[in-house]
Amino acid sequence: MSHKPDRREFLKTGLIASAAMLSAGPATLLGALDARAEELPDLAVAYGRDPAKMARAAVEAVGGMKRFVKAGNKVVIKPNMSFASGPKAASNTEPAVVEEVARMALEAGASRISVLDNVLHAPNECLSLSKIPEYCSRVPNTTVHNVQAKRMFKETPVPNGKQLRSMEIMTEVLDADVLIAVPVGKSHSSSGVSLSMKGMMGLIYDRRSFHSRYDLHDAIVDMCFVLKPALVVVDGTRILSSGGPGGPGKVIPLNLVIASPDMVAADAQMVALGTWYDRKLEPHQVRHIRNAAERKLGRSDLQNMSIKKIEL
Amino acid sequence: MRFQRITQTVTLILFLGLFLLAASPFPDGLGVDLFLRLDPLVDLGTVVAARDFQVFLLPGFILLASAFLFGRVFCGHICPMGTTLDVLERTAKTSRKSPTKTNSREAAGDYRAWKYLCLLVILAGAAGGVSLVFVGSPLSLVTRFYALVVHPVALALLDAALALVSPLASHTRFAELAHVQVDQRVFATGAFVAAFFVAMTALAYVQPRFWCRNLCPTGALFGLCSRSPRVRRKVNDSCTGCGRCIRGCPTAAISEDPTQTDHAECIVCLRCVSVCPEAAVSFGTIRGAAAKPAAKIDLSRRRLFLAMGSGLATAGLIRTGIHQPVPKIRDRPLRDGELIRPPGALPEAAFLERCIRCGECMKACPTNTLQPIWLKAGLEGIFSPIMLPRLGPCAVGCNVCGQVCPTGAIRNLPLIEKRHAKVGTAWIARETCLVWEQDKKCLVCDEVCPYGAVAFRPVEGKMNAVPFVTGTKCTGCGWCECKCPVEGTSAIRVGIAGEIRLNRGSYVEKSREYGFVFKIKETGPGGLAPGTFDAPDSAPAEGPGRQGSPASGTGLPPGIILK
Repeated sequence: MSHKPDRREFLKTGLIASAAMLSAGPATLLGALDARAEELPDLAVAYGRDPAKMARAAVEAVGGMKRFVKAGNKVVIKPNMSFASGPKAASNTEPAVVEEVARMALEAGASRISVLDNVLHAPNECLSLSKIPEYCSRVPNTTVHNVQAKRMFKETPVPNGKQLRSMEIMTEVLDADVLIAVPVGKSHSSSGVSLSMKGMMGLIYDRRSFHSRYDLHDAIVDMCFVLKPALVVVDGTRILSSGGPGGPGKVIPLNLVIASPDMVAADAQMVALGTWYDRKLEPHQVRHIRNAAERKLGRSDLQNMSIKKIEL
Repeated sequence: MRFQRITQTVTLILFLGLFLLAASPFPDGLGVDLFLRLDPLVDLGTVVAARDFQVFLLPGFILLASAFLFGRVFCGHICPMGTTLDVLERTAKTSRKSPTKTNSREAAGDYRAWKYLCLLVILAGAAGGVSLVFVGSPLSLVTRFYALVVHPVALALLDAALALVSPLASHTRFAELAHVQVDQRVFATGAFVAAFFVAMTALAYVQPRFWCRNLCPTGALFGLCSRSPRVRRKVNDSCTGCGRCIRGCPTAAISEDPTQTDHAECIVCLRCVSVCPEAAVSFGTIRGAAAKPAAKIDLSRRRLFLAMGSGLATAGLIRTGIHQPVPKIRDRPLRDGELIRPPGALPEAAFLERCIRCGECMKACPTNTLQPIWLKAGLEGIFSPIMLPRLGPCAVGCNVCGQVCPTGAIRNLPLIEKRHAKVGTAWIARETCLVWEQDKKCLVCDEVCPYGAVAFRPVEGKMNAVPFVTGTKCTGCGWCECKCPVEGTSAIRVGIAGEIRLNRGSYVEKSREYGFVFKIKETGPGGLAPGTFDAPDSAPAEGPGRQGSPASGTGLPPGIILK
């Protein structure tokens, strides 16, 4: 159906277009001119006892939240809260870390912050036991939701996927300006570890088929080319060293939080710093991290990266 | 609005409110099944068929006794079946004004005796030990209609509406609508139940409230008790005989002489009072000679015997059906191996004597595993509930089916008892199991089992350890069957072997006697919730890896490469 645009419509489209140009222009300019970007580390690890302070310090070290979240942005935070267990069980992200990331996003000017996961256990139990809604309720404009209904997802193509051609992603994530992953460090019975990369499966409608129809490790990498968070904050206050993803398993306190704009680097660092199934692992010993680095999703060569360590 | 419409609206809202509350978690102490027990046919039929009286079956008898005082108030004001049919008839616009001649008691008398025949068939069946209550009880029918048709369809519509509305609301203060999620329900036999109601509504083209006038056996029961009620319709001398009340009467209870009423047909809707231009009609007590003897029921002795005979013959047929135990040859009834009754269901024969197929348990079941059956248990078992574990497991922390059952066909058990009411045993179909048949690494059945009843052991010739079911630990809850990643029929299935069905007594003691040990798996640090295993969509494990694992045998996940 074609029709001539009337004046009102013309003005509206014009306004939107110019607004878009104006807002996009400075952002790209700033990005290019940002001299600090040269000095910022690839990755930061904060050590301490206070989860919130560690999260803040780590994010500050990689440029602060303002580097990732602009005023008025809609932000989606992806924690782990898929299991009906408390923070000590380490199947879910430490709620204080999630809260602090949300608070930093708010301070950076986010207009709306949604903490989202597609949970596995009984939804109400997951939300209440994880304590993530309880903590995040203290941050204005922040909501925590379990998203499972089919209508809340949208089929999205996966260009150049090795295993995936398309997948159904939460519409709210597609609509968001910024995606932040806040996984807990944990083991996983299929993928070895479940960190920011594997955690992105919590934003997908049908994750079962990842396991049953695809090569899981390549499928994870395919997915992360589409679902690539701007910032990753890995909760290493304690890790689920075995028995993951759901536990129960061996929980080891590491008292650290990792932050990086590179999801592969963040995951690689977590693997290197943790103990998994009673042994130490190199990042490239985890299939999906190795594949991700080979396919240039991000870097896993920790020895060549600039890593900032902060003691609190 | 007329008085009747107000009472009907209020009682329908009450009925629907209790209906919706029949869910897990269950509001303790609330008799959500009250309306079902208000139906005297449910109570009488169950008491006679089961030869057993329970106090909770009293409400219907009290209501029936009240008919001696107030007539069929239940039919006109309380019965949700009547209200539902009124709404359906109104929506379908079946009601047209009946000319006097076809709506007087004399003219419309052709079918009304049928309901007494229906009642007789059901009571004769009950006397023969077979419950046919579900065929005719209006409360059973209407609850089944709401449970299997209205509720699931309403949920589906709600979901569709949310999908439509939530994007529009995203910039309003109703933005949170985008996160509202509605659990969907699916049922077998729903279309059949719907068709029955379509037919009942269509019959209103013949006569308004066709069901209530001519077919409803509960109405017949009330009619028998309200042949000469204390409070009744009376007409004073100002009646001009205009016939408006005759035309307006929904049950054709008024004679060609409008001062005469068939009280057994009158449902006290009070329409005749409101339409009378002379205000000649009222309801009240009549003393002495003014009380005329009640009109006769138009039933020949031959038809009465026929009805009673049909009921007894039906009972006889069912009691000699193939699903009945044959004494001395085989005292256990022949049963389909997958006829898994809900936990706490009485022994099969006693269960079928009591189950009125109202669908309340299926409505309440949080995992949708309870489903009505067609002929899996013979004609006598139609619409009765079974567990369909492939669709959903029996939730460990739930005992709602027994709590909502109006007749005690499923026992109302405390959680600990319910967890010991073993419904069957899982077995592994090795020829389709990914591990047994294809030597793949898959642990799903073990990981989801709340009771640790699946054990993986190495066997010769297999690279991966293979699953075995420990029958003494398995309650038949069906988590394994539900979550087995094999497409189509599960490779681990629950059968009725080992089920415990008790008329009375403790399941905990009985299972101890049999040597069963039902113990919920250890919880982790930080504490797993009691409802951990109860989510309809939960999947602690996410299925097997597609490829064989090089790390197999090391105990490491396939995602880790060893140096």
